[in-house]
Amino acid sequence: MSRYRELLGVAFAGLAARKSRTLLIMLGPTLGVAAIIAAVGLTDSAKGDLKLKLRELGTDLIVAEASSSFGTDTPKMPTDAVPRALSVPTVDRVAAVSELSGVVVTPYAEAIGVYETVPIPVLAADAQLPSVLDVTMLSGRWLNDFDQQELVRSAVIGEGLADEIDVLAGESRSIDVGGKAYTVVGILEQVELDPSLNNAVFITFGSAEADFNDEDQEPNKLYVRADPGTERDTSSILPIAITLGGSTEVAAKIPTDLLEAQSETDTTLQFIVAGMGLLALVVGAVGIANVMSISVIQRSSEIGIRRALGHSRSTVGLQFLLEALGVGILGGLLGVVVGLAAMWVGTNLADWVFVLQPWLPWAGLLGAIIVSMLAGIVPALKAARLEPLETLRLG
Amino acid sequence: MSPVQGQPLLELDRVSRAYGEEVVVYALREVSLAIRAGDFMAIIGPSGSGKSTMLGLLGVLDLPSDGVIRIDGVDVGGLDDAGRSKMRGESIGFVFQQFHLIPHLSAQGNVETALLYRNLSRKERTDRARAALERVGLGARTDHRPVQMSGGEQQRVAIARAIVTDPLLVLADEPTGALDTTNAAKVMEIFESLRSPERAIVMVTHDLAVADHAERRVSMLDGRIVADDIRLPA
Ligand SMILES: Nc1ncnc2c1ncn2[C@@H]1O[C@H](COP(=O)(O)OP(=O)(O)O)[C@@H](O)[C@H]1O
Ligand SMILES: [Mg+2]
Repeated sequence: MSRYRELLGVAFAGLAARKSRTLLIMLGPTLGVAAIIAAVGLTDSAKGDLKLKLRELGTDLIVAEASSSFGTDTPKMPTDAVPRALSVPTVDRVAAVSELSGVVVTPYAEAIGVYETVPIPVLAADAQLPSVLDVTMLSGRWLNDFDQQELVRSAVIGEGLADEIDVLAGESRSIDVGGKAYTVVGILEQVELDPSLNNAVFITFGSAEADFNDEDQEPNKLYVRADPGTERDTSSILPIAITLGGSTEVAAKIPTDLLEAQSETDTTLQFIVAGMGLLALVVGAVGIANVMSISVIQRSSEIGIRRALGHSRSTVGLQFLLEALGVGILGGLLGVVVGLAAMWVGTNLADWVFVLQPWLPWAGLLGAIIVSMLAGIVPALKAARLEPLETLRLG
Repeated sequence: MSPVQGQPLLELDRVSRAYGEEVVVYALREVSLAIRAGDFMAIIGPSGSGKSTMLGLLGVLDLPSDGVIRIDGVDVGGLDDAGRSKMRGESIGFVFQQFHLIPHLSAQGNVETALLYRNLSRKERTDRARAALERVGLGARTDHRPVQMSGGEQQRVAIARAIVTDPLLVLADEPTGALDTTNAAKVMEIFESLRSPERAIVMVTHDLAVADHAERRVSMLDGRIVADDIRLPA
């Protein structure tokens, strides 16, 4: 046992005596391990973030939207789309939205030109919308039955719009919707699954009918919560249930599918970066093998004298193998530190949660150790095979 | 390992060493030689006479093509690399013309290298190395590295390294060959002081001034021993 401890000391002294050379050949394992950890760790963090988001959002939300059919300018669903959707047994809750075309919102009188060219969407929405979307009010309240009455003009605006036109929480403010002054009663928190709602103005179906002649109250979008686990079946049944063979076309999609697809593309990138890390490890190993082989020749006198002092071939070989191992351990440890630092920076920049699988640093370290040990075999054999008589130059 | 009375410490029995495959060159031809405890011996001869070959065989760094070499009664030819390494480490101390100190180690570290891998505690290694360095007059230089020392001092470190294991046989190859006369004299003085009834000291040299210190002189020519004189002290 003490033999191995002494060997470690000898190998370490050998590495410490040639610091710049040691640092140079550590670079391979360091870069390799860092790249692998950063690649795997960052994609895991991105995925973890996505999973967290999906858990928050729930994967059971379905958005059914009327799609363009021939001859219809603004595609609409039948008026009784909501009860029809609710007739599907696996449907839990439904909220309807109708986009009012041709209604211009002017938050500032001076800015009318801007808002004519880039219009703010005006949506008639029912009382269930926030609960179905599972979002809360940033401030104020959502539209209620009182707001449905004629001459009561209440509006809720999205978080993005509130930021844009500087509506402060709790501020009493009115905005011009299609020439009518609406009181802003609340600000809706950002809806992750439907970013288009972020800049919208919401009014009641009652107001839409009274002020903008939207008598039919035909929704063009339904937000549907399905019973957990049935979202796929529900989303395929939903368009049929809503249209019931009518002329409109309805497309249903699950918004979280998009997020999941996003995580798949990240996996490809992960393979590429991790592959590059692996390549760096292999190239680094070749570097270690080369530099250490040269070192064996430069240190042939040391090897000869060690043999004369009684160190066996295997002991001298082990000494050089342990030097390679030392390079692997030090390079691997440094690589883990650099990789984790890169992950920390990356997750902070992207605002992701930091997800580190506990085996990842160990796997990186182990990879560096294995690769550098393999790299050390050739120089170690060269050192072991050196004939002391040929290196000692007897007189 | 203490030598059995009367039995040679090291014995060459009709040893030959040939080089080459197609054209065979005999560096040593059927040489027999017995080295006994207490011997203080010089091997001399012109260039090409086989001195280096002899040194390699005596130091178990090489094996004979023919014949038997016994150290303390053990046939060296029957040992594997590990056994021969152990033999070198325990029974033989080397001193070379070019010192061959390990450059990145201190004087202390160089001497301790001879004590590695033999189940000694760190303290024991440190103490013994220090004692050996004190014995060659370098007790104050233990932390110095080879580049910080003169040739004479480096050779003294090498001598400390050779004797720290208390070997039966000290083998020196032109030990003063790279030194000026003052340092050479100092080194020879140390060799004289190392003489003991338990130990043999063998110096390979072509320097007659060095050979003059020796009590026994073995002369070589063309791979054979041509003279083996004992000079009684004057
Ligand atoms: N490795 C070798 N290969 C071939 N011939 C060698 C080798 N070493 C020594 N010789 C030959 O053996 C003979 C003795 O050499 P050596 O032992 O070096 O003598 P010395 O040390 O007395 O000069 C010389 O003829 C030399 O050329
Ligand atoms: Mg020679």
